[in-house]
Amino acid sequence: MEQKQKSPLMRIWDLSKSKQGMLKKSIALSAVGVLIGFVPYISAAKIIAMLIAHNGNTKDIVLWALAAFLTNECKTLLLTFSTSVSHKATFAVLAEIRQKCLRKLSNLSMGTLEAQSTGKWKTILVDQIESMEKTIAHVFPEFTGNILGAVVLMVGMIVLDWRLGLLSLVTLPIGMAFMMTTMKGYAQNYEKSIHVGKKMNDAILDYIGGIKVIKAFNQSEISYTKYADSIRNNASFFYGWMKQSQFGMSCFYSISPAVLVIVIPFGLIFYMGGSISVTEFLTILIMAMSVISPIIKMTSYMDSLATTGTLIESVEELLLAPEQHHPQEKVELADQVIELKHVTFAYDDEAGNVLNDVSLRIEPGTKTALVGPSGGGKSTIAKLIAGFWDVEEGSISLGGKDLKDIPLSQISENISYVSQDNFLFDDTVRNNIRMGRENATDEEVEEIARLASCDKFIRKLDRGYDTKVGGGGTHLSGGERQRIAIARAMLKNAPIVILDEATAYIDPENESVLQEAIGNLVKGKTLIVIAHRLATVTNSDKIVVLENGCIKATGTHDELIESSELYRHMWKASTGNGGEQDD
Amino acid sequence: MIETFKEIWRFADKEQGNVIKSIINNFLNAIFYMLQIGAIFFAIDAMLKENAEKKTIFLCLGMILVGIIGRIITNTFSQLQQTHAGYFMAANKRVSIGEKIKKIPMGFFNQSSLGNLTGICTSVLGDVEMTAPMVLVTTMSGFITSFVFVVYMLIFDWRIGLIAVAGMFLFLWTASLTDKKAKEQAPLRQNAQAELVSNILETVQGMAVIKSFNLTNIDDKKVDRAIEHSRDGNLAMELVLTPYTILQETVLKSASAVIMVTAALLCVSGKMELSFGLMFIIVSFSVFEQLQAAGSGVSIMRVCSNSMEQACQADQVEELDTNGKNIDVPMHDIVFEHVDFAYEDRKILSDVSVVMPDKMTTAIVGPSGSGKSTVCSLIARFWDVDQGSISIGGTNIKDYTLSSLMKQISIVFQDVYLFHDTIANNISFGTPNATQEQIETAAKKACCHDFIMSLPNGYETVIGDGEASLSGGEKQRVSIARAILKDAPIIILDEVTASVDPENEQLLVNAIEELTKNKTIIMIAHRLKTVRNANQILVLSDGKFVQQGTHEELICQPGIYADFVNGRKKADSWKIVKE
Repeated sequence: MEQKQKSPLMRIWDLSKSKQGMLKKSIALSAVGVLIGFVPYISAAKIIAMLIAHNGNTKDIVLWALAAFLTNECKTLLLTFSTSVSHKATFAVLAEIRQKCLRKLSNLSMGTLEAQSTGKWKTILVDQIESMEKTIAHVFPEFTGNILGAVVLMVGMIVLDWRLGLLSLVTLPIGMAFMMTTMKGYAQNYEKSIHVGKKMNDAILDYIGGIKVIKAFNQSEISYTKYADSIRNNASFFYGWMKQSQFGMSCFYSISPAVLVIVIPFGLIFYMGGSISVTEFLTILIMAMSVISPIIKMTSYMDSLATTGTLIESVEELLLAPEQHHPQEKVELADQVIELKHVTFAYDDEAGNVLNDVSLRIEPGTKTALVGPSGGGKSTIAKLIAGFWDVEEGSISLGGKDLKDIPLSQISENISYVSQDNFLFDDTVRNNIRMGRENATDEEVEEIARLASCDKFIRKLDRGYDTKVGGGGTHLSGGERQRIAIARAMLKNAPIVILDEATAYIDPENESVLQEAIGNLVKGKTLIVIAHRLATVTNSDKIVVLENGCIKATGTHDELIESSELYRHMWKASTGNGGEQDD
Repeated sequence: MIETFKEIWRFADKEQGNVIKSIINNFLNAIFYMLQIGAIFFAIDAMLKENAEKKTIFLCLGMILVGIIGRIITNTFSQLQQTHAGYFMAANKRVSIGEKIKKIPMGFFNQSSLGNLTGICTSVLGDVEMTAPMVLVTTMSGFITSFVFVVYMLIFDWRIGLIAVAGMFLFLWTASLTDKKAKEQAPLRQNAQAELVSNILETVQGMAVIKSFNLTNIDDKKVDRAIEHSRDGNLAMELVLTPYTILQETVLKSASAVIMVTAALLCVSGKMELSFGLMFIIVSFSVFEQLQAAGSGVSIMRVCSNSMEQACQADQVEELDTNGKNIDVPMHDIVFEHVDFAYEDRKILSDVSVVMPDKMTTAIVGPSGSGKSTVCSLIARFWDVDQGSISIGGTNIKDYTLSSLMKQISIVFQDVYLFHDTIANNISFGTPNATQEQIETAAKKACCHDFIMSLPNGYETVIGDGEASLSGGEKQRVSIARAILKDAPIIILDEVTASVDPENEQLLVNAIEELTKNKTIIMIAHRLKTVRNANQILVLSDGKFVQQGTHEELICQPGIYADFVNGRKKADSWKIVKE
C-alpha cells in the first residue's frame, strides 16, 4: 500500500535513480535562470524611475536596457541548457527502463511470458515508456522554475508594497472557485465517459475484426450503423460534458491571471492616498502581470503527471513480477525419470485449478501420450515438466531431483519442447537452426536439416542456407517453418522431447514429411506427446487420459479400450465416421 | 508549415466551420485582453497628469471587467467549438473508414491490415481528436493576434511599431528555419523508432525460443543497440533543435529590449509623450507572448499531421466495383472459365476452367500455398479475377450486387470470429429477424444447444465477457449454426476441421452434415475422411487443377492424390523406432 500512495512526482524521481545527478543539475540551472530572469524587472523599474524623475540620460538607459537583454539571454541559455540536460537524463533513463524491462522479461517464467500477447509487451516496452518522455523531461526543471518564478515575483512585490503584493493574489482563489463548479458531477461523468469510450472501442473491434463475417453474412449496413452510432455517441458525450464544464474552466483561465483588475484600482487608491510612488506602482504592475501564469502552468502539469503516474505503475508492476528461483549450479541427475507427485496447479487464484492432484511417472526411453478433451490439462502438464512454471502444491522431479532445485538452463538442456508455435528469428536459415547448439558446424547444421526433411526446400531458396527468414525475410509455409523448428530441436539433442500438438495445422502431404522428421527427432528419446488424433498415439507405452484436470485412466491402448469409458468414447468418435485408419 | 496547415484544414472537412469560429473567438479574446493595456494607459496617464480621481478608478476597473467578461465568453465559445471540431472530425474519419471498409475487397483484410485499421480508429484518431484543432487554433489565432497587435502599435507609434514588425518577421524566419531542421532530422528519429519496434517485437516473440534453447544473451546486443539508437535519435532531435530555440528566444528578447530602450530614449528626447513611453515599456514584457505560443504550436502540429497521414492510408485502397443487379438464380452450379489470378505479383491461378455442379460436393486438395483458399475467395469475390470469369447459375458473379451474391453463399472460416454479443445474436447474425425457436433449431442442428444451455445465461450469455470462454470446437459450431440459419444454397468450408480434438470433431462433422444437406458445397479439407465422400475432388498444384475425379478414380491414377493418400497412411501408421 505504501507504494501506491507515492506521488507520481516521487515515482518518477525514484525511477530516474541513476540519473538523479543530471536532473539535479538541470533543476539548479533552471533555478539560477529564473533568478537571473528577475533582473529585467529591475531594469524596467530603474528606467521608469528615471523617466518619471526626468533625469534619464541615454547612457544609463541603454546600459539598463542592455542589462535587461543580457540577463534575459542568460536566462534563455540557462533554461535551454537545463532542458537539454534533463532530456539527456530522461532519454538515458528511458533506455535504462527498457533494458531493465527486457532483462526482466527474460527472467519471467515462460508461462507468464506466454500469458500476454506480444502486442501487449510491445505496448509497454515501446509506446508506454515513450509517452513518459514529455513529463519526465520537463517536469523537474519547469516545476522548479515555475514555483521559484512565482515566489520570486511575489517576494519582489511584497517588498515593494506588501498590500498590493498580497492583493495581486486575490484573483487566483476566485478563479479556483469557478473551477470547482466544474467538479460537480465529475465522478459520474468520468464513469460514463469510460463506459461510452469502451463501447466505442468494442464496436470498432467488432466491426473491423469481424468484417469478414459481416460481409459474408450480408450485414454491412446494420453493423455499420451500430459502429457509426457508437462513434457519434462517444463524440457527442464528450462534447456534452465539455459544454457543462467549459464555462467554469473559461472563468478560471480568464479570471485567475487578470490581476490588474485588483492592482490598478488599488494602486490608484494608494497612489491618491500618497502611500505609493508611480515607479513602485508601475514596477508592481509589470510583475503582477507575470505572477499568475506560472501557477496556471503548474496546474496544467498535474494532469499529465497523473497519467504518467499510471504508466509508471504498469512498468513497475512488470519489474516487480515474481520470477522463478532456481539455483545456478548444475546438479547431478541420477537418470531421466520424470515424476509428478500430487501436483495441483492454477494459473491464477480466481480461475480455479487446472490440475488436481496429478501423479504420474514417466520412464526414460518410453513414449507417453496425454489425451483427453480440450481444457483437460494436457498442455499444462507438458509445460510444467518443461519448467514454464514452478508448482506450488505437490512436486515434479527429474532424475530424482525436484525441478525447483535444477537450474533452468539444465532443464532446457534435458528437455526439448516443440509446439505449434515455431518462431523464426529474422536471421539466416542456418543461424536459426544453429540456435539449437551454438557451436554446431555448418556440416552438422546441414546434416540435421536433412534428417528433419528440410534440406531440400532450403536449397531451393534464393540463397540456400543463407536466406534470411523470419519477420522481414522470405515467406515460408507453416509446414516449412515447423520443420526448421524441428531441426533446431534435433540439433539440441535433448534426451526428453515434448511434442505439444506439434502437427495440428499441417496439411496431409506435408504431414507425412513432418512425421518423418519427428520420427528422426525422437529416436531413442523419452517422448511425451499431446495429439489431437488418437491414431498417432495408439502405439504409446503409456496413454494418460485427462479430464477436468484429473487423470481418469492410464494404460496402453488395448488396456484403455477395455477399462476406460471415456477413452473408448474418444476412440469411437475418432474412428466412427469411417476413419481412414481402417482402409 | 503552410502544408501542415492545409493538411489539418482538409482533414477538418465538415468541421471547418467550427475551426474558423473558434479562431475568430480566440482572436476576439486577444482583443479583450488588450483592454487591460488600455486600462494601464489611462492609469499611467492620470497619475502623470496628477488628475487621478474616482472616475479614473472606475474607468480602469470597468475596462478590465469588460475585458474579463469578454474573455470568459469568447474563451468558452472558442474552446467548445474547438472541442466539437476535434471530436467530430475524428468521429467523421472513423465513420468514413467504416464506410470505406464496406467497399474494399475482402481479400484486403488480413491479420496485419485489420490490426492496422483498428489502431487507426482507436489510438491514432484518439490523438487527433485531442490535439489537432487545439494546435490549429492556438497557432492560427496566435499569428493573427500578433499581427493585429503589431498593427495597433504602428497606429499608436510607428517607430515602436516598426521594431515590433521587424521582431515578428525575424521570429517567423527563425521559426521556419527550425521547422526545416526538424523535418530534416525527423526521418533519422523515425528510423531509430522503427528499429526499436521491430527489435523489441522480435526479442519478445523469440523469448520462448531463447529460453528453451538456453540462449540467454544471444540477441541482447542487437536489441540493446536498437534501444541506444532510439535514445540517441531522440536526443539528437532535441539537441539539434536547441540552437534554434535559443535563436528564436533571442530574437524576441532583443526586440523587446529594443522597444524598451527606444521608448525610453524617445521620451528623454521629448519625441514621445511620457505616458506612451511608460506604457510601451510595460507592454514590451508581454508583446510577443502570443507569437511564442504560436511558434511552439508549430512543432506539435507536425506530429499531428503524421497521425492524420496515417489515418488517411485507408482512403487509398482500391474499392471493388459493384454495379451489379439483384439477382436470384434457381441453379447454383459454379463455373470457372479461363481464370487467371495473381496476388502481389505471385501467379496463383493460371487459365483455370472447371465446373462445380449444383447440389454436389466439390473438395479441393493440394499442397499448402497452392491456392486452395484463393479459389474460395474468388467465388465469394473477396478478390476479382484478373482474366476469365466465374459464374454462378449461369450469371457472372460481377453482375450480382455484392449483397445478392452473398445471399447465395455461406462461408465457414477456419478462424472463427464471434462478436462481443449474446450467443443468440451471434447465431442470428445473418438473419436478424429469426425467432428464438429458429435460433435454437439451428443450434441443435449444429450440436451446440447442449453446451449453450450449460452456460450461465444460456443463449443470452455474452461472449467474451470472461464468464463464457468457449473452446475452439464450440466456437466453430456456433459459427456453423450461424451458417445453418442463413440457409444459403452454396456452402464454402475453408479447412474447418483443422484443429479440433477428436470427440469434438465428431460433433463438428455432424454439424457440417446438417449444414450441407442439399447444398452446393466447396470444401477445402486436411482430412481424407471428409474428402473421400465428395462427388468431385479437384487437385490443385502450381496454379492448375491437375487431377479431377472421385476418390475411387483418383487413387488408381498415379499422381499427387495417390501420393497424398499413401503419405497419409504412412503418417497414421507412424511408429517411433526404439533403439
